[in-house]
Amino acid sequence: MSDVVEKTLTALPSLLSLDSQPGSTKLSSTSKLGTLIRGITELTSKHEEEKLIQRELTSIKEQVSSPNTSMRQMKELMVRAIYCEMLGYEAAFSYIHAIKLAQQGTALEKRVGYLAVSLFLNESHELLLLLVNTVLKDLQSTNLIEVCMALTVVSQIFPKDMIPAILPLVEEKLNHPKEIIRRKAVLALYKFYLIAPNQVQHIHNKFRKALCDKDPGVMTASLHIYLQMIQENPEGYKDLTASFVTIMKQVVGGKLPMDFNYHSVPAPWLQIQLLRILSLLGKNDQSTSEIMYEVLDESLRRAEMNHNITYAILYECVKCIYTIHPKSELLEKAAKCIGNFVLSPKINLKYLGLKALTYVVQQDPKLALQHQMTIIECLDHPDLIIKRETLELLFRITNAQNVTVIVEKMLEFLRINKDDYTTIDLVGKVAELAEKYP
Amino acid sequence: MMRFMLLFSRQGKLRLQKWYTATANGDKKKMVRELMQIVLARKPKMCSFLEWRDLKIVYKRYASLYFCCAIEEQDNELITLEVIHRFVELLDKYFGSVCELDIIFNFEKAYFILDEFLMGGEIQDTSKKSVLKAIEQADLLQEEDESPRSVLEEMGLA
Repeated sequence: MSDVVEKTLTALPSLLSLDSQPGSTKLSSTSKLGTLIRGITELTSKHEEEKLIQRELTSIKEQVSSPNTSMRQMKELMVRAIYCEMLGYEAAFSYIHAIKLAQQGTALEKRVGYLAVSLFLNESHELLLLLVNTVLKDLQSTNLIEVCMALTVVSQIFPKDMIPAILPLVEEKLNHPKEIIRRKAVLALYKFYLIAPNQVQHIHNKFRKALCDKDPGVMTASLHIYLQMIQENPEGYKDLTASFVTIMKQVVGGKLPMDFNYHSVPAPWLQIQLLRILSLLGKNDQSTSEIMYEVLDESLRRAEMNHNITYAILYECVKCIYTIHPKSELLEKAAKCIGNFVLSPKINLKYLGLKALTYVVQQDPKLALQHQMTIIECLDHPDLIIKRETLELLFRITNAQNVTVIVEKMLEFLRINKDDYTTIDLVGKVAELAEKYP
Repeated sequence: MMRFMLLFSRQGKLRLQKWYTATANGDKKKMVRELMQIVLARKPKMCSFLEWRDLKIVYKRYASLYFCCAIEEQDNELITLEVIHRFVELLDKYFGSVCELDIIFNFEKAYFILDEFLMGGEIQDTSKKSVLKAIEQADLLQEEDESPRSVLEEMGLA
Protein backbone atom coordinates (compact mmCIF):
# COMPACT_ATOMS: atom_id res chain seq x y z
CA MET A 1 0.00 0.00 0.00
CA SER A 2 1.37 3.41 -0.84
CA ASP A 3 2.44 5.74 1.97
CA VAL A 4 -0.22 8.32 1.25
CA VAL A 5 -3.03 5.79 1.45
CA GLU A 6 -1.61 4.41 4.67
CA LYS A 7 -1.42 7.88 6.18
CA THR A 8 -5.02 8.51 5.19
CA LEU A 9 -6.19 5.28 6.71
CA THR A 10 -4.53 6.03 10.04
CA ALA A 11 -5.83 9.59 10.03
CA LEU A 12 -9.37 8.50 9.15
CA PRO A 13 -10.72 7.69 12.65
CA SER A 14 -9.66 11.02 14.13
CA LEU A 15 -10.93 12.97 11.12
CA LEU A 16 -14.27 11.23 11.25
CA SER A 17 -14.74 12.06 14.92
CA LEU A 18 -14.14 15.77 14.45
CA ASP A 19 -17.02 18.12 14.94
CA SER A 20 -17.49 21.72 13.90
CA GLN A 21 -15.37 22.85 16.82
CA PRO A 22 -11.88 21.39 16.85
CA GLY A 23 -11.06 19.26 19.83
CA SER A 24 -14.55 18.07 20.67
CA THR A 25 -15.33 14.39 20.87
CA LYS A 26 -17.68 12.39 18.69
CA LEU A 27 -20.49 12.94 21.15
CA SER A 28 -20.17 16.73 20.73
CA SER A 29 -20.54 17.27 24.42
CA THR A 30 -19.15 20.78 24.13
CA SER A 31 -20.81 21.84 20.87
CA LYS A 32 -23.66 24.29 20.87
CA LEU A 33 -26.02 21.64 19.52
CA GLY A 34 -25.07 19.41 22.41
CA THR A 35 -25.78 22.18 24.89
CA LEU A 36 -29.15 22.85 23.30
CA ILE A 37 -30.14 19.19 23.39
CA ARG A 38 -29.01 18.82 26.97
CA GLY A 39 -30.97 21.94 27.86
CA ILE A 40 -34.14 20.51 26.37
CA THR A 41 -33.75 17.16 28.06
CA GLU A 42 -33.46 18.80 31.46
CA LEU A 43 -36.72 20.73 31.10
CA THR A 44 -39.89 19.28 32.43
CA SER A 45 -42.69 21.09 30.69
CA LYS A 46 -43.60 21.86 27.08
CA HIS A 47 -43.96 25.51 27.99
CA GLU A 48 -40.37 25.73 29.19
CA GLU A 49 -39.18 23.92 26.07
CA GLU A 50 -40.99 26.50 23.94
CA LYS A 51 -39.31 29.34 25.81
CA LEU A 52 -35.88 27.78 25.44
CA ILE A 53 -36.31 27.09 21.73
CA GLN A 54 -37.63 30.58 21.07
CA ARG A 55 -34.59 32.04 22.82
CA GLU A 56 -32.38 29.77 20.77
CA LEU A 57 -34.12 30.71 17.53
CA THR A 58 -33.77 34.43 18.27
CA SER A 59 -30.06 33.97 18.89
CA ILE A 60 -29.69 31.92 15.69
CA LYS A 61 -31.62 34.56 13.75
CA GLU A 62 -29.29 37.31 14.96
CA GLN A 63 -26.22 35.33 14.07
CA VAL A 64 -27.28 34.24 10.59
CA SER A 65 -28.16 37.80 9.60
CA SER A 66 -24.87 39.19 10.83
CA PRO A 67 -22.29 39.80 8.07
CA ASN A 68 -19.48 38.59 10.33
CA THR A 69 -20.63 34.99 10.52
CA SER A 70 -18.22 32.66 8.78
CA MET A 71 -19.43 29.72 6.71
CA ARG A 72 -18.16 27.36 9.37
CA GLN A 73 -20.29 29.04 12.01
CA MET A 74 -23.19 29.16 9.58
CA LYS A 75 -23.01 25.39 9.20
CA GLU A 76 -23.29 24.93 12.93
CA LEU A 77 -26.20 27.38 13.07
CA MET A 78 -27.98 25.49 10.30
CA VAL A 79 -27.71 22.21 12.17
CA ARG A 80 -29.36 23.80 15.18
CA ALA A 81 -32.05 25.33 12.98
CA ILE A 82 -32.77 21.88 11.47
CA TYR A 83 -33.07 20.48 14.97
CA CYS A 84 -35.54 23.17 16.03
CA GLU A 85 -37.65 22.66 12.92
CA MET A 86 -37.64 18.92 13.61
CA LEU A 87 -39.10 19.55 17.02
CA GLY A 88 -41.89 21.48 15.32
CA TYR A 89 -40.83 25.10 15.70
CA GLU A 90 -40.70 27.35 12.69
CA ALA A 91 -37.36 28.72 11.53
CA ALA A 92 -38.26 30.14 8.12
CA PHE A 93 -35.69 32.91 8.43
CA SER A 94 -32.94 30.35 8.02
CA TYR A 95 -34.10 29.00 4.63
CA ILE A 96 -32.34 31.64 2.55
CA HIS A 97 -29.17 31.17 4.57
CA ALA A 98 -29.28 27.45 3.91
CA ILE A 99 -29.17 28.18 0.19
CA LYS A 100 -26.34 30.64 0.74
CA LEU A 101 -24.44 28.03 2.69
CA ALA A 102 -24.81 25.54 -0.15
CA GLN A 103 -23.61 28.21 -2.56
CA GLN A 104 -20.66 29.63 -0.72
CA GLY A 105 -19.57 26.91 1.62
CA THR A 106 -17.03 24.24 0.80
CA ALA A 107 -17.25 20.49 1.26
CA LEU A 108 -18.99 19.66 4.55
CA GLU A 109 -20.49 23.16 4.82
CA LYS A 110 -21.97 22.79 1.35
CA ARG A 111 -23.26 19.38 2.34
CA VAL A 112 -25.06 20.67 5.42
CA GLY A 113 -26.42 23.52 3.30
CA TYR A 114 -27.87 21.09 0.77
CA LEU A 115 -29.24 18.88 3.55
CA ALA A 116 -30.92 21.88 5.17
CA VAL A 117 -32.45 22.87 1.84
CA SER A 118 -33.82 19.38 1.23
CA LEU A 119 -35.33 19.29 4.73
CA PHE A 120 -36.68 22.83 4.90
CA LEU A 121 -38.11 23.44 1.45
CA ASN A 122 -40.65 21.67 -0.69
CA GLU A 123 -41.15 21.56 -4.46
CA SER A 124 -43.34 24.61 -4.72
CA HIS A 125 -41.30 26.94 -2.54
CA GLU A 126 -40.24 30.11 -4.31
CA LEU A 127 -36.73 30.03 -2.83
CA LEU A 128 -36.03 26.81 -4.69
CA LEU A 129 -35.24 28.73 -7.87
CA LEU A 130 -32.22 30.21 -6.16
CA LEU A 131 -30.85 26.73 -5.72
CA VAL A 132 -30.77 26.01 -9.42
CA ASN A 133 -27.70 28.12 -10.13
CA THR A 134 -25.76 26.55 -7.30
CA VAL A 135 -26.64 23.08 -8.51
CA LEU A 136 -25.68 23.94 -12.09
CA LYS A 137 -22.31 25.19 -10.92
CA ASP A 138 -21.65 22.16 -8.75
CA LEU A 139 -22.60 19.74 -11.50
CA GLN A 140 -19.77 21.10 -13.58
CA SER A 141 -17.24 21.09 -10.77
CA THR A 142 -14.07 19.06 -11.10
CA ASN A 143 -14.49 17.93 -7.51
CA LEU A 144 -16.55 14.76 -7.81
CA ILE A 145 -17.85 14.96 -4.25
CA GLU A 146 -19.53 18.25 -5.15
CA VAL A 147 -21.06 16.67 -8.23
CA CYS A 148 -22.41 13.87 -6.03
CA MET A 149 -23.93 16.36 -3.59
CA ALA A 150 -25.59 18.28 -6.41
CA LEU A 151 -27.04 15.11 -7.94
CA THR A 152 -28.31 13.94 -4.53
CA VAL A 153 -30.17 17.17 -3.89
CA VAL A 154 -31.59 17.18 -7.43
CA SER A 155 -33.02 13.69 -6.88
CA GLN A 156 -34.77 14.89 -3.75
CA ILE A 157 -36.16 18.29 -4.60
CA PHE A 158 -36.13 20.30 -7.81
CA PRO A 159 -38.50 22.80 -9.43
CA LYS A 160 -40.30 21.23 -12.38
CA ASP A 161 -39.93 24.24 -14.65
CA MET A 162 -36.17 24.32 -14.45
CA ILE A 163 -35.68 20.76 -15.64
CA PRO A 164 -34.77 21.73 -19.23
CA ALA A 165 -31.94 23.87 -17.89
CA ILE A 166 -30.33 21.03 -16.03
CA LEU A 167 -31.24 18.02 -18.15
CA PRO A 168 -28.26 18.07 -20.55
CA LEU A 169 -25.79 18.25 -17.66
CA VAL A 170 -27.40 15.30 -15.90
CA GLU A 171 -27.61 13.34 -19.13
CA GLU A 172 -23.90 13.63 -19.78
CA LYS A 173 -23.20 12.28 -16.30
CA LEU A 174 -24.75 8.99 -17.44
CA ASN A 175 -21.48 8.26 -19.23
CA HIS A 176 -19.20 9.18 -16.38
CA PRO A 177 -16.38 6.74 -15.56
CA LYS A 178 -17.26 6.64 -11.85
CA GLU A 179 -20.24 4.38 -11.10
CA ILE A 180 -21.49 6.44 -8.17
CA ILE A 181 -21.99 9.43 -10.48
CA ARG A 182 -23.75 7.31 -13.09
CA ARG A 183 -26.01 5.86 -10.42
CA LYS A 184 -26.92 9.24 -9.01
CA ALA A 185 -27.56 10.59 -12.50
CA VAL A 186 -30.02 7.75 -13.15
CA LEU A 187 -31.79 8.54 -9.87
CA ALA A 188 -32.00 12.22 -10.77
CA LEU A 189 -33.57 11.27 -14.11
CA TYR A 190 -36.02 9.00 -12.24
CA LYS A 191 -37.07 11.98 -10.16
CA PHE A 192 -37.52 14.07 -13.32
CA TYR A 193 -39.58 11.29 -14.85
CA LEU A 194 -41.87 11.27 -11.81
CA ILE A 195 -42.50 14.99 -11.78
CA ALA A 196 -42.44 15.75 -15.52
CA PRO A 197 -42.55 12.58 -17.65
CA ASN A 198 -42.73 14.32 -21.01
CA GLN A 199 -39.42 16.08 -20.41
CA VAL A 200 -37.45 12.83 -20.35
CA GLN A 201 -39.20 10.90 -23.10
CA HIS A 202 -36.41 11.35 -25.60
CA ILE A 203 -33.72 9.59 -23.58
CA HIS A 204 -35.26 6.14 -23.27
CA ASN A 205 -32.34 4.55 -25.06
CA LYS A 206 -30.02 6.02 -22.43
CA PHE A 207 -32.01 4.15 -19.79
CA ARG A 208 -31.47 0.98 -21.75
CA LYS A 209 -27.75 1.60 -21.57
CA ALA A 210 -28.03 2.04 -17.80
CA LEU A 211 -29.89 -1.26 -17.60
CA CYS A 212 -26.90 -3.01 -19.17
CA ASP A 213 -24.36 -1.16 -17.07
CA LYS A 214 -21.61 -3.34 -15.70
CA ASP A 215 -22.08 -1.95 -12.20
CA PRO A 216 -25.05 -3.62 -10.47
CA GLY A 217 -25.80 -0.44 -8.51
CA VAL A 218 -26.42 1.56 -11.68
CA MET A 219 -28.49 -1.25 -13.12
CA THR A 220 -30.65 -1.42 -9.99
CA ALA A 221 -31.21 2.34 -10.13
CA SER A 222 -32.49 2.09 -13.70
CA LEU A 223 -35.05 -0.51 -12.60
CA HIS A 224 -36.99 2.15 -10.69
CA ILE A 225 -37.60 4.03 -13.92
CA TYR A 226 -38.46 0.85 -15.77
CA LEU A 227 -40.97 -0.20 -13.13
CA GLN A 228 -42.76 3.14 -13.54
CA MET A 229 -42.71 3.02 -17.33
CA ILE A 230 -43.85 -0.60 -17.46
CA GLN A 231 -46.69 0.15 -15.07
CA GLU A 232 -47.97 2.72 -17.51
CA ASN A 233 -47.35 0.77 -20.68
CA PRO A 234 -46.51 -2.93 -20.31
CA GLU A 235 -46.83 -3.63 -24.03
CA GLY A 236 -43.96 -1.36 -24.93
CA TYR A 237 -41.43 -3.30 -22.91
CA LYS A 238 -42.29 -6.93 -23.53
CA ASP A 239 -39.16 -7.25 -25.61
CA LEU A 240 -37.08 -6.59 -22.51
CA THR A 241 -38.52 -9.58 -20.67
CA ALA A 242 -35.66 -11.82 -21.70
CA SER A 243 -33.10 -9.31 -20.37
CA PHE A 244 -34.89 -9.06 -17.02
CA VAL A 245 -35.07 -12.82 -16.78
CA THR A 246 -31.35 -13.09 -17.50
CA ILE A 247 -30.51 -10.52 -14.83
CA MET A 248 -32.72 -12.36 -12.34
CA LYS A 249 -31.00 -15.64 -13.17
CA GLN A 250 -27.61 -14.07 -12.55
CA VAL A 251 -28.66 -12.59 -9.25
CA VAL A 252 -30.33 -15.72 -7.92
CA GLY A 253 -27.37 -17.77 -9.10
CA GLY A 254 -25.05 -15.67 -6.97
CA LYS A 255 -23.11 -14.11 -9.84
CA LEU A 256 -23.09 -10.62 -8.31
CA PRO A 257 -20.12 -9.42 -6.26
CA MET A 258 -20.27 -10.53 -2.61
CA ASP A 259 -20.73 -6.91 -1.54
CA PHE A 260 -24.34 -6.93 -2.65
CA ASN A 261 -25.26 -9.75 -0.32
CA TYR A 262 -27.52 -8.98 2.58
CA HIS A 263 -27.28 -11.73 5.19
CA SER A 264 -26.15 -14.18 2.50
CA VAL A 265 -29.08 -13.37 0.25
CA PRO A 266 -27.93 -11.87 -3.05
CA ALA A 267 -29.28 -8.36 -3.68
CA PRO A 268 -32.76 -8.92 -2.19
CA TRP A 269 -34.23 -5.53 -3.08
CA LEU A 270 -33.07 -5.96 -6.65
CA GLN A 271 -34.79 -9.36 -6.76
CA ILE A 272 -38.03 -7.86 -5.53
CA GLN A 273 -37.94 -5.06 -8.12
CA LEU A 274 -37.37 -7.64 -10.84
CA LEU A 275 -40.22 -9.81 -9.56
CA ARG A 276 -42.57 -6.83 -9.67
CA ILE A 277 -41.49 -5.96 -13.19
CA LEU A 278 -41.87 -9.56 -14.33
CA SER A 279 -45.38 -9.84 -12.89
CA LEU A 280 -46.43 -6.69 -14.75
CA LEU A 281 -44.99 -8.02 -18.00
CA GLY A 282 -46.41 -11.53 -17.68
CA LYS A 283 -49.96 -10.57 -16.71
CA ASN A 284 -52.54 -12.01 -19.11
CA ASP A 285 -49.81 -12.91 -21.56
CA GLN A 286 -48.99 -16.55 -21.92
CA SER A 287 -45.99 -16.33 -24.20
CA THR A 288 -44.22 -13.75 -22.04
CA SER A 289 -45.05 -15.70 -18.90
CA GLU A 290 -43.48 -18.82 -20.30
CA ILE A 291 -40.10 -17.12 -20.46
CA MET A 292 -40.14 -16.54 -16.73
CA TYR A 293 -41.33 -19.85 -15.32
CA GLU A 294 -37.85 -21.27 -14.99
CA VAL A 295 -36.38 -18.36 -13.07
CA LEU A 296 -39.41 -18.15 -10.78
CA ASP A 297 -39.02 -21.81 -9.98
CA GLU A 298 -35.36 -21.22 -9.23
CA SER A 299 -36.16 -18.32 -6.86
CA LEU A 300 -38.70 -20.42 -5.01
CA ARG A 301 -36.17 -23.15 -4.58
CA ARG A 302 -33.28 -20.97 -3.50
CA ALA A 303 -35.20 -19.05 -0.90
CA GLU A 304 -35.22 -21.80 1.69
CA MET A 305 -33.29 -20.07 4.46
CA ASN A 306 -34.92 -18.74 7.58
CA HIS A 307 -34.54 -15.03 7.42
CA ASN A 308 -37.12 -12.31 7.15
CA ILE A 309 -35.71 -11.12 3.88
CA THR A 310 -36.13 -14.53 2.21
CA TYR A 311 -39.74 -14.55 3.31
CA ALA A 312 -40.16 -11.11 1.78
CA ILE A 313 -38.77 -12.38 -1.52
CA LEU A 314 -40.96 -15.48 -1.33
CA TYR A 315 -44.02 -13.32 -0.80
CA GLU A 316 -43.27 -11.27 -3.90
CA CYS A 317 -42.52 -14.45 -5.84
CA VAL A 318 -45.85 -15.95 -4.84
CA LYS A 319 -47.68 -12.79 -5.82
CA CYS A 320 -45.92 -12.84 -9.17
CA ILE A 321 -46.80 -16.47 -9.83
CA TYR A 322 -50.45 -15.79 -9.17
CA THR A 323 -50.51 -12.68 -11.35
CA ILE A 324 -49.01 -14.05 -14.52
CA HIS A 325 -50.41 -16.73 -16.74
CA PRO A 326 -50.93 -19.79 -14.52
CA LYS A 327 -48.69 -22.83 -14.47
CA SER A 328 -49.82 -25.67 -12.25
CA GLU A 329 -46.47 -26.79 -10.77
CA LEU A 330 -45.54 -23.27 -9.80
CA LEU A 331 -48.99 -22.66 -8.36
CA GLU A 332 -48.68 -25.78 -6.23
CA LYS A 333 -45.33 -24.71 -4.83
CA ALA A 334 -46.60 -21.21 -4.20
CA ALA A 335 -49.67 -22.56 -2.40
CA LYS A 336 -47.40 -24.58 -0.13
CA CYS A 337 -45.43 -21.43 0.62
CA ILE A 338 -48.53 -19.54 1.62
CA GLY A 339 -49.50 -22.45 3.81
CA ASN A 340 -46.17 -22.23 5.61
CA PHE A 341 -46.68 -18.52 6.21
CA VAL A 342 -50.14 -18.86 7.62
CA LEU A 343 -49.20 -21.71 9.91
CA SER A 344 -46.06 -20.00 11.16
CA PRO A 345 -45.97 -19.09 14.85
CA LYS A 346 -44.20 -15.83 13.97
CA ILE A 347 -46.84 -13.17 13.97
CA ASN A 348 -45.35 -11.10 11.14
CA LEU A 349 -45.36 -14.11 8.85
CA LYS A 350 -48.93 -14.99 9.75
CA TYR A 351 -49.95 -11.51 8.72
CA LEU A 352 -48.14 -11.90 5.44
CA GLY A 353 -49.76 -15.30 4.89
CA LEU A 354 -53.21 -13.84 5.39
CA LYS A 355 -52.44 -11.04 2.98
CA ALA A 356 -51.22 -13.52 0.40
CA LEU A 357 -54.37 -15.62 0.86
CA THR A 358 -56.53 -12.56 0.34
CA TYR A 359 -54.69 -11.88 -2.88
CA VAL A 360 -54.97 -15.38 -4.30
CA VAL A 361 -58.35 -16.41 -2.99
CA GLN A 362 -60.13 -15.15 -6.04
CA GLN A 363 -58.18 -17.49 -8.25
CA ASP A 364 -57.97 -20.43 -5.90
CA PRO A 365 -60.76 -20.60 -3.29
CA LYS A 366 -59.80 -24.14 -2.31
CA LEU A 367 -56.64 -22.82 -0.69
CA ALA A 368 -58.61 -20.79 1.80
CA LEU A 369 -60.72 -23.82 2.63
CA GLN A 370 -57.60 -25.83 3.31
CA HIS A 371 -56.56 -23.41 6.00
CA GLN A 372 -59.92 -22.54 7.40
CA MET A 373 -59.14 -23.77 10.90
CA THR A 374 -56.18 -21.40 11.13
CA ILE A 375 -58.27 -18.58 9.73
CA ILE A 376 -60.93 -19.14 12.36
CA GLU A 377 -58.26 -19.11 15.04
CA CYS A 378 -56.92 -15.83 13.70
CA LEU A 379 -60.35 -14.29 14.11
CA ASP A 380 -59.92 -14.43 17.84
CA HIS A 381 -56.31 -13.32 17.82
CA PRO A 382 -55.49 -10.63 20.42
CA ASP A 383 -53.73 -8.47 17.83
CA LEU A 384 -56.25 -6.26 16.06
CA ILE A 385 -54.28 -6.16 12.85
CA ILE A 386 -54.48 -9.91 12.37
CA LYS A 387 -58.21 -9.76 13.09
CA ARG A 388 -58.67 -7.03 10.55
CA GLU A 389 -56.74 -8.89 7.88
CA THR A 390 -58.73 -12.05 8.55
CA LEU A 391 -61.97 -10.15 8.12
CA GLU A 392 -60.65 -8.79 4.84
CA LEU A 393 -59.99 -12.35 3.72
CA LEU A 394 -63.40 -13.58 4.83
CA PHE A 395 -65.03 -10.77 2.92
CA ARG A 396 -63.53 -12.21 -0.24
CA ILE A 397 -64.76 -15.74 0.35
CA THR A 398 -68.26 -14.86 1.45
CA ASN A 399 -70.99 -16.90 -0.12
CA ALA A 400 -74.66 -17.44 0.64
CA GLN A 401 -73.95 -20.03 3.34
CA ASN A 402 -71.48 -18.22 5.54
CA VAL A 403 -72.51 -14.62 5.03
CA THR A 404 -74.47 -14.32 8.30
CA VAL A 405 -71.60 -15.61 10.40
CA ILE A 406 -69.09 -13.38 8.67
CA VAL A 407 -71.17 -10.24 9.01
CA GLU A 408 -71.70 -11.02 12.70
CA LYS A 409 -67.94 -11.23 13.20
CA MET A 410 -67.46 -7.94 11.37
CA LEU A 411 -70.02 -6.20 13.56
CA GLU A 412 -68.29 -7.59 16.63
CA PHE A 413 -65.01 -6.13 15.42
CA LEU A 414 -66.61 -2.77 14.75
CA ARG A 415 -67.72 -2.57 18.34
CA ILE A 416 -64.16 -2.81 19.69
CA ASN A 417 -62.41 -0.94 16.91
CA LYS A 418 -61.39 2.67 17.59
CA ASP A 419 -59.78 3.72 14.32
CA ASP A 420 -62.11 5.80 12.14
CA TYR A 421 -60.59 4.84 8.88
CA THR A 422 -61.00 1.09 9.36
CA THR A 423 -64.52 1.59 10.68
CA ILE A 424 -65.59 3.41 7.54
CA ASP A 425 -64.02 0.72 5.39
CA LEU A 426 -65.62 -2.13 7.27
CA VAL A 427 -69.05 -0.54 7.40
CA GLY A 428 -68.86 -0.16 3.64
CA LYS A 429 -68.13 -3.85 3.29
CA VAL A 430 -71.00 -4.85 5.57
CA ALA A 431 -73.34 -2.70 3.52
CA GLU A 432 -72.10 -4.31 0.32
CA LEU A 433 -72.72 -7.79 1.69
CA ALA A 434 -76.15 -6.80 2.93
CA GLU A 435 -77.06 -5.70 -0.56
CA LYS A 436 -75.68 -8.81 -2.20
CA TYR A 437 -77.32 -11.31 0.12
CA PRO A 438 -80.64 -9.94 1.35
CA MET B 1 -42.91 3.88 -2.11
CA MET B 2 -42.08 5.02 1.37
CA ARG B 3 -43.91 8.14 2.42
CA PHE B 4 -41.84 9.00 5.46
CA MET B 5 -39.50 7.64 8.09
CA LEU B 6 -39.43 8.65 11.75
CA LEU B 7 -37.03 7.87 14.54
CA PHE B 8 -38.15 8.54 18.07
CA SER B 9 -37.25 7.56 21.59
CA ARG B 10 -39.38 5.64 24.05
CA GLN B 11 -40.23 8.92 25.76
CA GLY B 12 -41.70 10.26 22.54
CA LYS B 13 -38.83 12.58 21.57
CA LEU B 14 -38.34 12.86 17.82
CA ARG B 15 -34.77 12.14 16.70
CA LEU B 16 -35.03 12.15 12.92
CA GLN B 17 -37.75 12.68 10.34
CA LYS B 18 -37.50 12.28 6.59
CA TRP B 19 -40.49 12.96 4.37
CA TYR B 20 -40.61 11.71 0.80
CA THR B 21 -43.75 13.57 -0.19
CA ALA B 22 -44.56 17.27 0.07
CA THR B 23 -46.55 17.78 3.28
CA ALA B 24 -47.44 20.99 5.11
CA ASN B 25 -45.58 21.60 8.37
CA GLY B 26 -48.76 21.67 10.44
CA ASP B 27 -49.87 18.32 9.02
CA LYS B 28 -46.46 16.83 9.66
CA LYS B 29 -46.61 17.77 13.32
CA LYS B 30 -50.06 16.30 13.73
CA MET B 31 -49.18 13.06 11.99
CA VAL B 32 -45.97 12.63 13.96
CA ARG B 33 -47.77 13.18 17.27
CA GLU B 34 -50.56 10.76 16.42
CA LEU B 35 -48.27 8.09 15.12
CA MET B 36 -45.91 8.28 18.08
CA GLN B 37 -48.82 7.73 20.43
CA ILE B 38 -50.07 4.72 18.50
CA VAL B 39 -46.68 3.04 18.13
CA LEU B 40 -45.60 3.66 21.72
CA ALA B 41 -48.79 1.99 22.91
CA ARG B 42 -48.01 -1.27 21.07
CA LYS B 43 -47.05 -4.25 23.19
CA PRO B 44 -43.88 -6.24 22.50
CA LYS B 45 -45.50 -9.41 21.11
CA MET B 46 -47.65 -7.62 18.59
CA CYS B 47 -47.27 -7.50 14.84
CA SER B 48 -44.69 -5.07 13.48
CA PHE B 49 -47.20 -3.74 11.02
CA LEU B 50 -50.28 -1.68 11.56
CA GLU B 51 -52.76 0.26 9.47
CA TRP B 52 -53.18 3.97 9.94
CA ARG B 53 -55.34 6.20 7.77
CA ASP B 54 -54.74 4.99 4.24
CA LEU B 55 -51.13 3.95 4.88
CA LYS B 56 -49.37 1.02 6.40
CA ILE B 57 -46.94 1.59 9.22
CA VAL B 58 -43.94 -0.66 9.73
CA TYR B 59 -42.04 -0.17 12.96
CA LYS B 60 -39.25 -1.81 14.92
CA ARG B 61 -37.63 -0.99 18.19
CA TYR B 62 -33.86 -1.10 18.58
CA ALA B 63 -32.89 -0.58 22.23
CA SER B 64 -34.43 2.77 23.17
CA LEU B 65 -35.16 3.96 19.62
CA TYR B 66 -38.25 3.29 17.53
CA PHE B 67 -37.79 3.24 13.75
CA CYS B 68 -41.08 3.87 12.02
CA CYS B 69 -41.85 3.89 8.28
CA ALA B 70 -45.06 4.65 6.44
CA ILE B 71 -45.57 2.77 3.20
CA GLU B 72 -48.29 2.64 0.59
CA GLU B 73 -50.94 -0.03 0.10
CA GLN B 74 -49.11 -2.04 -2.53
CA ASP B 75 -45.72 -2.11 -0.79
CA ASN B 76 -44.28 -5.19 0.87
CA GLU B 77 -44.21 -4.81 4.68
CA LEU B 78 -41.58 -7.40 5.36
CA ILE B 79 -39.13 -5.81 2.97
CA THR B 80 -39.63 -2.45 4.70
CA LEU B 81 -38.72 -4.11 7.98
CA GLU B 82 -35.49 -5.16 6.33
CA VAL B 83 -34.92 -1.64 4.98
CA ILE B 84 -35.04 -0.44 8.59
CA HIS B 85 -32.60 -3.16 9.57
CA ARG B 86 -30.28 -2.21 6.72
CA PHE B 87 -30.30 1.41 7.93
CA VAL B 88 -29.43 0.30 11.44
CA GLU B 89 -26.59 -1.86 10.10
CA LEU B 90 -25.18 1.09 8.14
CA LEU B 91 -25.40 3.37 11.18
CA ASP B 92 -23.72 0.69 13.26
CA LYS B 93 -20.85 0.33 10.81
CA TYR B 94 -20.36 4.08 10.47
CA PHE B 95 -20.49 5.03 14.16
CA GLY B 96 -19.04 1.75 15.42
CA SER B 97 -21.58 0.07 17.74
CA VAL B 98 -24.10 2.84 17.40
CA CYS B 99 -26.25 3.94 20.34
CA GLU B 100 -29.06 6.48 20.58
CA LEU B 101 -26.67 9.23 21.71
CA ASP B 102 -24.67 8.91 18.51
CA ILE B 103 -27.77 9.54 16.47
CA ILE B 104 -28.94 12.40 18.67
CA PHE B 105 -25.73 14.37 18.62
CA ASN B 106 -24.77 13.58 15.04
CA PHE B 107 -28.19 13.54 13.47
CA GLU B 108 -27.03 15.35 10.34
CA LYS B 109 -24.65 12.44 9.66
CA ALA B 110 -27.55 10.01 10.10
CA TYR B 111 -29.41 12.03 7.45
CA PHE B 112 -26.44 11.79 5.09
CA ILE B 113 -26.38 8.00 5.42
CA LEU B 114 -30.15 7.77 4.96
CA ASP B 115 -29.98 9.86 1.79
CA GLU B 116 -27.28 7.65 0.31
CA PHE B 117 -29.30 4.46 0.43
CA LEU B 118 -32.92 5.60 0.38
CA MET B 119 -33.70 7.91 -2.50
CA GLY B 120 -37.16 9.21 -3.26
CA GLY B 121 -38.72 6.67 -0.92
CA GLU B 122 -37.15 3.72 -2.73
CA ILE B 123 -34.22 1.74 -1.42
CA GLN B 124 -31.14 1.57 -3.60
CA ASP B 125 -29.78 -1.94 -3.43
CA THR B 126 -26.14 -1.00 -3.34
CA SER B 127 -23.31 -2.65 -1.53
CA LYS B 128 -22.96 -1.55 2.08
CA LYS B 129 -19.36 -0.68 1.27
CA SER B 130 -20.24 1.84 -1.43
CA VAL B 131 -22.71 3.70 0.79
CA LEU B 132 -20.21 4.06 3.62
CA LYS B 133 -17.38 4.88 1.24
CA ALA B 134 -19.38 7.78 -0.22
CA ILE B 135 -20.03 9.21 3.26
CA GLU B 136 -16.46 8.77 4.44
CA GLN B 137 -14.98 10.38 1.35
CA ALA B 138 -17.12 13.46 1.87
CA ASP B 139 -16.17 13.49 5.54
CA LEU B 140 -12.53 13.61 4.53
CA LEU B 141 -13.12 17.01 2.95
CA GLN B 142 -13.87 18.48 6.35
CA GLU B 143 -10.53 20.24 6.74
CA GLU B 144 -9.58 23.12 4.46
CA ASP B 145 -5.86 22.52 4.58
CA GLU B 146 -3.79 20.91 1.90
CA SER B 147 -3.22 17.30 2.97
CA PRO B 148 -6.70 15.82 2.36
CA ARG B 149 -6.81 17.53 -1.00
CA SER B 150 -3.69 15.80 -2.19
CA VAL B 151 -5.07 12.53 -0.92
CA LEU B 152 -8.14 13.14 -3.05
CA GLU B 153 -5.98 13.78 -6.06
CA GLU B 154 -4.16 10.55 -5.29
CA MET B 155 -7.50 8.75 -5.36
CA GLY B 156 -8.38 10.44 -8.61
CA LEU B 157 -11.34 12.30 -7.27
CA ALA B 158 -10.31 15.91 -7.88
